[in-house]
Amino acid sequence: MTKIFILSSLSLVFVGLYGVLTRKNIVKILIALNIIETGINMLLVAFGYVEGGITPILQSDLSIANLDKMVDPVPQALVLTSIVIGLGTTAFALSLAMRYKDTHNSISIRATDEEGVNV
Amino acid sequence: MTQHLPILSIISLFIGAFIVALIKEKNEMLRNTIVLIATFLSFVFTIMMYRPIILEGNILTYWMGNWEPIKDWAIGIGLEVDQLSLFFGLFISLSIVLSALYSFRYIERETGKDKYYVLFLMMSASVMGFIFTGDLFNMYVMIEIMTFASVALTAFRNDRPEAVEAGFKYIAIGSIGSSLILLATVIIYAQFHTLNLAQLAGELYNNYTAITIFALALMIVGYAVKVFAVPTHFVAPDAYMVAPSSISMLFSGIVNKAAVYGILRIIYVVYQSMNLSSMQFLLVFWGTVTMFIGVTMALAQHDFKRLLAFHSISQIGYVLTGIGLTTALGITGGLYHALNHTLFKGLLFLCAGAVFYATGTTDLDKLGGLAKRMPQTTLIFLIGAFSISGIPPFNGFVSKWIIYQASYEAGYAPVTIIALIVSVMTLASFIKVAQSAFFGQLPKEFKNVEEVPLSMRIPMWIMAILCIVGGIVPSTVTKYLITPAANAVMNSAKYVEVMMGKEFASKFYSNLGSAPVIDYKLAGYWQPIAWLILFGILLLAFTLVAVLGGFNPKKFSYADEEDAKYDVFFSGESAEFSHVGGSDLFWGLKYQFRHYFDFMHKIHSGLVNDYALSVVLTAAVILLYVFTFVR
Repeated sequence: MTKIFILSSLSLVFVGLYGVLTRKNIVKILIALNIIETGINMLLVAFGYVEGGITPILQSDLSIANLDKMVDPVPQALVLTSIVIGLGTTAFALSLAMRYKDTHNSISIRATDEEGVNV
Repeated sequence: MTQHLPILSIISLFIGAFIVALIKEKNEMLRNTIVLIATFLSFVFTIMMYRPIILEGNILTYWMGNWEPIKDWAIGIGLEVDQLSLFFGLFISLSIVLSALYSFRYIERETGKDKYYVLFLMMSASVMGFIFTGDLFNMYVMIEIMTFASVALTAFRNDRPEAVEAGFKYIAIGSIGSSLILLATVIIYAQFHTLNLAQLAGELYNNYTAITIFALALMIVGYAVKVFAVPTHFVAPDAYMVAPSSISMLFSGIVNKAAVYGILRIIYVVYQSMNLSSMQFLLVFWGTVTMFIGVTMALAQHDFKRLLAFHSISQIGYVLTGIGLTTALGITGGLYHALNHTLFKGLLFLCAGAVFYATGTTDLDKLGGLAKRMPQTTLIFLIGAFSISGIPPFNGFVSKWIIYQASYEAGYAPVTIIALIVSVMTLASFIKVAQSAFFGQLPKEFKNVEEVPLSMRIPMWIMAILCIVGGIVPSTVTKYLITPAANAVMNSAKYVEVMMGKEFASKFYSNLGSAPVIDYKLAGYWQPIAWLILFGILLLAFTLVAVLGGFNPKKFSYADEEDAKYDVFFSGESAEFSHVGGSDLFWGLKYQFRHYFDFMHKIHSGLVNDYALSVVLTAAVILLYVFTFVR
């Protein structure tokens, strides 16, 4: 199960990289950057995953007895931080894109025929 | 009190940022006072750490929320300040204060000043946090805040198209770099289930598996993107050029230095991998390429700030080479150069800012003859230019000399030669700047420019004086600042021992806490005072000639005529009227190496795709290299 998570998250990273390397539309580039981030966040969660695990809260004698089965809570805390940072970056980058549209009258990094560039 | 100093020096800047955000545009005086107090407090707190850490040789640790390690397992987030962190912290907090002081008048004509100061303080705070933290994930968070604030400040003059464009490029490339760092952090966490640097240092000691090597390579590339080492440097000139000068100064002075610190911390302390000759070669090679390509690109520039940006890249190459040599002398040279680079490059960016403030442009083709109107700025610029070119008795000479000596002793003689050539080329390109901006003919539209206000000159003078001090008393600076830091770099066991306790460290290290004794002689530096007097006389003569109009080239209007300057032999009428412009001082060199320059211009294409590709390619090459050679 973890392997599937790891493989799919790494493939998301590569999909994102492909987007950054090939797209000319700056909104698409930003989306590609977001996909990279999502991939890494997913990887982080996957590493903390324990199959058939229980919630990491000490609530009864049973949970103390099964400490090994607890899901690692740290990656989830980290991933929250990471998501918030990603949100801030994306929001700011999109506002830059709007500004870019105003100053350049296009959202392409170069004059191309790519679809959706001329808005 | 002492143990709270690290967190206080970080938090005072963050609190300042929040208060400034609350004040908004309402009261300018109050806002400036708060900015000054916040930055100054941070500086004072950092200075207060000097005695316990550098003089007495202690290491300060601070567990946030008092979550101390239990059974050799770090739970909370820790701050740890050793001599290396404090060395970086000292000059970083100083340049933050100076930049804040400079900003007050420099950006007075801009709109959205409150946002400028919020971002300024956030960036400063995150760099301080990055330097003082002892937690891998915290390092990522801080460097992400730093990148984010830097991007916003790059695009601060967002009415200019190139500023928005540079901001976009910076955010795209910076995000890829941060993603690599995050990926490496995640992988390391999955392997060791801890994020504490000291605990990781223990676990990673001589522990090279495929996973740790993979993470190491990603970390190095991630921080190299933040350092702007050469194949990943493309975004730097674009960003430095359009950012306000007070921010460009911080980019090269603190943002770059933070990333250098990151590399030092990761490879020397966390991985302890610098005893491998493959890693040494990697850094030395990378540094040498960086310094060479940076300076050759600088020769071809005709914008003051863009030229400085390429020099910034080139000087970082010296730092990387120095720390890559791993000898005591090499690390000392690298760290000394990091300090000096912050001083003289900050100085030069502030000079560029002063020129922009006075004339409204930084294009070298339009400028000229400013020495008559702005004598102090000219003098300061000359001090900065001579420092960066490594001319005695300024600080650049000392650190460069140490690096030459160290690289020669370590058996990298070709590196020494390249470093010397780069130094000469640096001087050449600054002669060009001096000739075209400060000497020569004063264009008509700048007849009425005035010297910049006092509050802008004070930070410049402070840095200029520090540049001279660093060159005159190198042995004192080394003894009280650099050697302790170099010691901390070479002795990672102590870092682990203080943070996690002796029992934890003794599991991994056989010899604890025995700092290697560094002794070396600074050869080739006999009489700083004599050099200073010589320089003073030369400068006086130079200024005299300039003031009397000796450097004024004849202006002629035959620029459109066919150019004879590229002919091997030329004479007669056509040569008489061949126009060699201010920014065209090295046309011969540029012509001879035209294939190289054509290639370089082509790869600096300005497209995000290409820039991202260079980062990805670097990552691929480093991964291959590290997997092949690191064992």
